[in-house]
Amino acid sequence: MNPSKLQLKLFADRNVHAPESEAFIPVFHRWIRDHVLAELVIDVANYAHVPKGPGVVLIGHTGDYYLDDSDGRFGLLYSRKRGLAGAAFEARLEDLFRRTLHAAALLEKEAPATGAGQGGLRFGTNELLFRVNDRLAAPASDETFAALRPALEAMAGRLFEGPFELTRVGDARALFGVKLVGTGEPSDLSTLLARVGGPPAADLP
Amino acid sequence: MNAAKSWKEKLGNTVPEAWAREIDVFETQIELRKKGKIEEKLFAETRLRRGTYGQRYDNGQRHDGAVTQLLAYPSGEITKGPVTLWDAPGMQRIKIPYGRLTIAQLETIADLAEEYSDRILHVTTRQDIQLHFIHIEDTPDLMRRLAAAGITTREACGNTVRNVTGCPYAGVCQTESFDVTPYAHAMTFFLLGHDDTQNFGRKFKLSFSGCKDNPCALANFHDIGCIARTRTVDGRKERGFEVVVGGGLGSVPQNAQLFDAFVPETELLPLAQAMSRVYARLGEKQNRAKARLKFLVKKLGLEEFKRLVLEERATLRPDPRWTAFLADLHVTDEKPLRAAGPLPAGPYPAGFDAWRATNVVPQAQAGYVMALVTLPLGDLTSDQARLLADVARRFTGDTLRTTADQNLLLRWVSEADLPALYQALQAAELAGAGAGTLTDIVACPGTDTCKLGISSSRALAAQLGRELTGSALAENPNAKGLHIKASGCFNACGQHHVADLGFLGVSRNVNGRRVPHFQLVVGGQWTNNAGSYGLAIGAVPSKRVPEVVKRLAGRFAAERQGDETFSAFVNRIGKKTIRALVEEMQAVPPHEVDPSFYTDWGDPREYTIDDMGVGECAGEVVPLVEVGLADAEREIFESQILLEEKKPAEAVARAYSAMLVAARALSREKNSNLSNDPNEIVAEFRKHFCDTQLFYDPYAGPKFAQYFFRIHDEHASAKDPEAVHQLIEEATLFVDAAHQVYARLGASLGGPALGLAPAATVPSPAPAPGVGA
Repeated sequence: MNPSKLQLKLFADRNVHAPESEAFIPVFHRWIRDHVLAELVIDVANYAHVPKGPGVVLIGHTGDYYLDDSDGRFGLLYSRKRGLAGAAFEARLEDLFRRTLHAAALLEKEAPATGAGQGGLRFGTNELLFRVNDRLAAPASDETFAALRPALEAMAGRLFEGPFELTRVGDARALFGVKLVGTGEPSDLSTLLARVGGPPAADLP
Repeated sequence: MNAAKSWKEKLGNTVPEAWAREIDVFETQIELRKKGKIEEKLFAETRLRRGTYGQRYDNGQRHDGAVTQLLAYPSGEITKGPVTLWDAPGMQRIKIPYGRLTIAQLETIADLAEEYSDRILHVTTRQDIQLHFIHIEDTPDLMRRLAAAGITTREACGNTVRNVTGCPYAGVCQTESFDVTPYAHAMTFFLLGHDDTQNFGRKFKLSFSGCKDNPCALANFHDIGCIARTRTVDGRKERGFEVVVGGGLGSVPQNAQLFDAFVPETELLPLAQAMSRVYARLGEKQNRAKARLKFLVKKLGLEEFKRLVLEERATLRPDPRWTAFLADLHVTDEKPLRAAGPLPAGPYPAGFDAWRATNVVPQAQAGYVMALVTLPLGDLTSDQARLLADVARRFTGDTLRTTADQNLLLRWVSEADLPALYQALQAAELAGAGAGTLTDIVACPGTDTCKLGISSSRALAAQLGRELTGSALAENPNAKGLHIKASGCFNACGQHHVADLGFLGVSRNVNGRRVPHFQLVVGGQWTNNAGSYGLAIGAVPSKRVPEVVKRLAGRFAAERQGDETFSAFVNRIGKKTIRALVEEMQAVPPHEVDPSFYTDWGDPREYTIDDMGVGECAGEVVPLVEVGLADAEREIFESQILLEEKKPAEAVARAYSAMLVAARALSREKNSNLSNDPNEIVAEFRKHFCDTQLFYDPYAGPKFAQYFFRIHDEHASAKDPEAVHQLIEEATLFVDAAHQVYARLGASLGGPALGLAPAATVPSPAPAPGVGA
């Protein structure tokens, strides 16, 4: 099993008063204009009017970046759509983590001020949601979990450098999903990013 | 258990055979286009006819607020249509005939939105659902999954019969003459893919309404509007339709005209077929801005149009489908899931009363009501769609309906269940009140995703929603029922002409800079099936539109007399008064004083219209004969593949089919009643092209035609691979000869001018033709 349409979500720290997702629209436009990411990004879609929805989305050619509010938990969701043809699952996984963590680190730096005392944006680093956005390649099943678990464990081991737990999430209709939770002391984003290889290189078609 | 390698394999025969074949064909066409073997305009029309549409920035350019930058899509210069790059994300329109959607279909679309789009299902003003940011190469699987759920995207765009819309209350409405659902259903599948609807110069829209007075189906701005009527003859009640024709919005809005006050139900389908033929034959093909039926009706005059249609009707070959559906008009009936019962005594959940006041509509059936699910800007998420499916499964049964207000409708809700239903909707964040009120604002996609958008209708609607929701004005009983609709450009997909307060996006130059504006259109009539259109008053800067709305609605709230409509109010106080109010709001401060006026709502970039592209809603005018010849070529290609795959019998059958398709494409230009029967095709081809020697090659004489006759006489048989190979060669030569004949005869076959190769003569679209679902 080697799915390619992978997703990773980092959740915003609930203790920090994050700006509304629409406040990041200028940030995403700037990323497009200044070619901030090492990939082709095209447009910004605003769905902030939909409760618990995809929020504000930076639409790319190979992947999208959502300021996602699904289930009422704000965070950054990176969704790989295409690319990395022929790569092993482990390589796809590493790329997924590098892109997500890199974008998250950039967002933390560029988050507009909220005016609140604890304003800004900070992502929690001990809880991540991994999903496969492809019901054909990776049905939401125990078989899928068994097939992907070794690579996910290896990645979680690199990421947390300490104890962790993997838990399957979602019902039969949902995408296949796994919650990765580090149970040790959390590290900051830049540390996590360094552990998985640092910022991504130019995207591969 | 072996996992399926593809959706095609996984879905297997759950996809209806004919639809599976169509999608396979489309997939082949995608491959052929990538190899440059299909001309780009032909491919554009092909994909549009599958509902696969372009989106903003698909020309590979995007203005960043200062300069236009190139978007370096990896496929480079490969295109999927004129100035439409292959890798650029596009929109998939999903036709939902008369808005009827099953739970399984809703769940399927939810999955597709998640896996191929951005997790948003967008309900359009023509009851479709659209998914955005989709790659062309994902569309065949997307279509297979839809087809397995009973949905085809065929003819969702392009110069075709678009989604047949219908009153969402049909069958449960208190004021309808009868349930129009089975008629809309029959019309949908009768015209879908019909030969007589394949050669239009522009799109063609039909609508079904159960009654004349209410707005639910907006019959008066459709090419054909069908309004249910009954009459009594010799003591027997007969069903029929008041048929209106030639309506339309766009830059030249036109109210439909009465074609016939009562068309018997048995005559409805043949009449639509006859109208299609007249439109295909006489409708404008070159000037895209004048190609809708409304222009033909105007040009000919209603009486002449009517005469031609009735004359055409008399020549139609009888078709059992015209009346077969009448044998079971209950095929689309819905049964309630739960027993009817009275609303339980309160107390009710917080917000219930307000929601019930605006979102609950009584049904004709005692004890049942309908519940409108208000969708902000017509959007819901995949998660919400699945939760809504659960709600329907629990409370109402198998179907929902989309509405022209961009909402969803649950029918057959037992009143006894209303509080529990409300709470279930609340859990899905779908219990917003205000359906059909001042805060339930309709908007087309505008500059968010549309290539023709001038101003951001969606972001304006979102801003208005923010400012009005919960305001005293929105709760004022005099103003509460006002309708606001916004279109991103004059093509009017937001249906602004029939709003109390309509807005259409325009731009203005102020001090050498572009400033987004909206033209204010007031007093449109939503009722009476969109009975009359509003009048443009003047353009105001986008950033001042909320203030304009508050002033106008506020004045209406304060000065309304009794049940006076907004339209009547406008007439009473006079357009000059409205104009004076607008003039006060037209000033644009200098850029250095307030640069926000020089950006649009929801977009921090300095405003520009440089991102506008060439619209695709008008499709490409590709004569039907060209479509047939291209199909024949594709079948030749497929026969070669089948031979390579060592399937000789299938290869022969496909090669023979290619010849039949080519022969029919030519012959149908001489006999529009030609069926698909091979014997009839051969006979007609022989009569019109061989007996006349039109098909004779200057050097080879009748040789290529004889190939066709021989394979037909031999029942498409070939024994050994060599013979199969030879037969495919002959089929190739025959199809090529058909092309040559078409090139020679050109205009006399409904095609391009004499002597020009078909691919080179497809006319270019005029700038900014009308758009819409």
